[in-house]
Amino acid sequence: MLAQAPHPASETLPLVRIVGLNKWFGALQVLKDIELTVRAGSRIVVCGPSGSGKSTLIRCINGLEHFQKGTIQLEGTALGRNPRDTATARRQTGMVFQSFNLFPHLTVLANCTLALRRVLLKPASEAEEIAMHHLTTVRIPEKAHAYPAQLSGGQQQRVAIARALCLNPRIMLFDEPTSALDPEMIKEVLDVMVALAGSGVTMVCVTHEMGFAREVADQIVFMDEGRIVVHASSRDFFSRAAHPRAQLFLDTILSH
Amino acid sequence: MGFDLHFALSTIPTIIGAIGATLLATILSCLGASALGFTFEMIRRGGGAPGLAVRFLIDFIRSTPVLAWLYFLYFVLPFYGIRLGAMTVGILGLSLYYSGYLAEVFKAGIDAIPKGQQEAARSLSLTRRDTIVFVIAPQMLRNIAAPLGNYFVSILKATPYLAVLAVPEMLGRAFDIASETYRYAEPLTVAGILFLALALIVAYGVKRIEQRLLAAGRR
Repeated sequence: MLAQAPHPASETLPLVRIVGLNKWFGALQVLKDIELTVRAGSRIVVCGPSGSGKSTLIRCINGLEHFQKGTIQLEGTALGRNPRDTATARRQTGMVFQSFNLFPHLTVLANCTLALRRVLLKPASEAEEIAMHHLTTVRIPEKAHAYPAQLSGGQQQRVAIARALCLNPRIMLFDEPTSALDPEMIKEVLDVMVALAGSGVTMVCVTHEMGFAREVADQIVFMDEGRIVVHASSRDFFSRAAHPRAQLFLDTILSH
Repeated sequence: MGFDLHFALSTIPTIIGAIGATLLATILSCLGASALGFTFEMIRRGGGAPGLAVRFLIDFIRSTPVLAWLYFLYFVLPFYGIRLGAMTVGILGLSLYYSGYLAEVFKAGIDAIPKGQQEAARSLSLTRRDTIVFVIAPQMLRNIAAPLGNYFVSILKATPYLAVLAVPEMLGRAFDIASETYRYAEPLTVAGILFLALALIVAYGVKRIEQRLLAAGRR
């Protein structure tokens, strides 16, 4: 029983439209017939057991992974068809990684301004202004001149979020943003993400944080063995646990 | 015939007079070998037919003697109408020869950078060139400062090879004095000490640069 995806803002053009997406790593099929539409303002949490393909899916949306079959369109521009379209499509997305991936040789501010200056060709002063604005959004403006190694994991991840926000993406993608963090730092990152969601940022987030999912997500995508098993509204997912496999997953995750 | 300190001291000005040629050959060869080695490594990384060709070229360079390169460039190229000065050939030869080794050093320095760095650069829509210049190269330099410095010292110590092309570098000049006076110990010792001093300066400089690179936030 495949729950129908709710469309709270069904009139708007979808930001992301994934049709018939299939991907293999060698002989291993990691994504199977994925269909997913993300509309502006959606807050989708993707969950599922490890190896279910959720990270691969989100990396496909950012163009970090190639795929063999199907299409991914970002506001009508297809990823992976030709380099120019891929670049245009990728420009719509901001990506936050599990391991932060800040540039260790650059200060926090320089991490944020690099793409502003080199990709959007902003002058230095304007780039810094934009960067400081987003560093304030993630509540870490005072560390602008520190190096990543001088920050805690939670602080680094917040900088990584600011760095992604700087390019003003239409959609933010989070790939297990709190999985590499110590427990006491998870909250500060989640708080920032909750605030982002509150300000209307469209996001797709791979996470095991079910409390966050319950609080923030309007839709839950549950994946298993490369398939989307459940795509339901957050309320339906948590109240009725639309699928036995998802119920089992929730039981395991929430039991500790 | 013991070691005549007085004679040794008297040879210093003459030998130091050749320090310019030694330094010029060293510095330009270091720059040339670095630029060429980095280019080779980038092409090798690109793969395909050019990558394969460069891979073969690097192996070829590394398994031939540096003197063979110098002789070849100096004596064979003129047959094809390319006539270069001794110093130019010397710098070209050392650059080519050491580029093969530096390509390996650059490779190790790049391989040590976590894959996430390139992914972050890609997710920020940085071009390939900007990724190399602003993300990969600075981190690579930090990873390889020490071995790179060692090769720079090696290049300094290889400049006496240029004596075979009659480039007036320090060791060649010392040997000229020795041949004229039949006293070998003094000029060769002086040249050796001067090389030691230069090598120590290069090593110290490399160490300073390494410390500055490391100071900018170790992972």
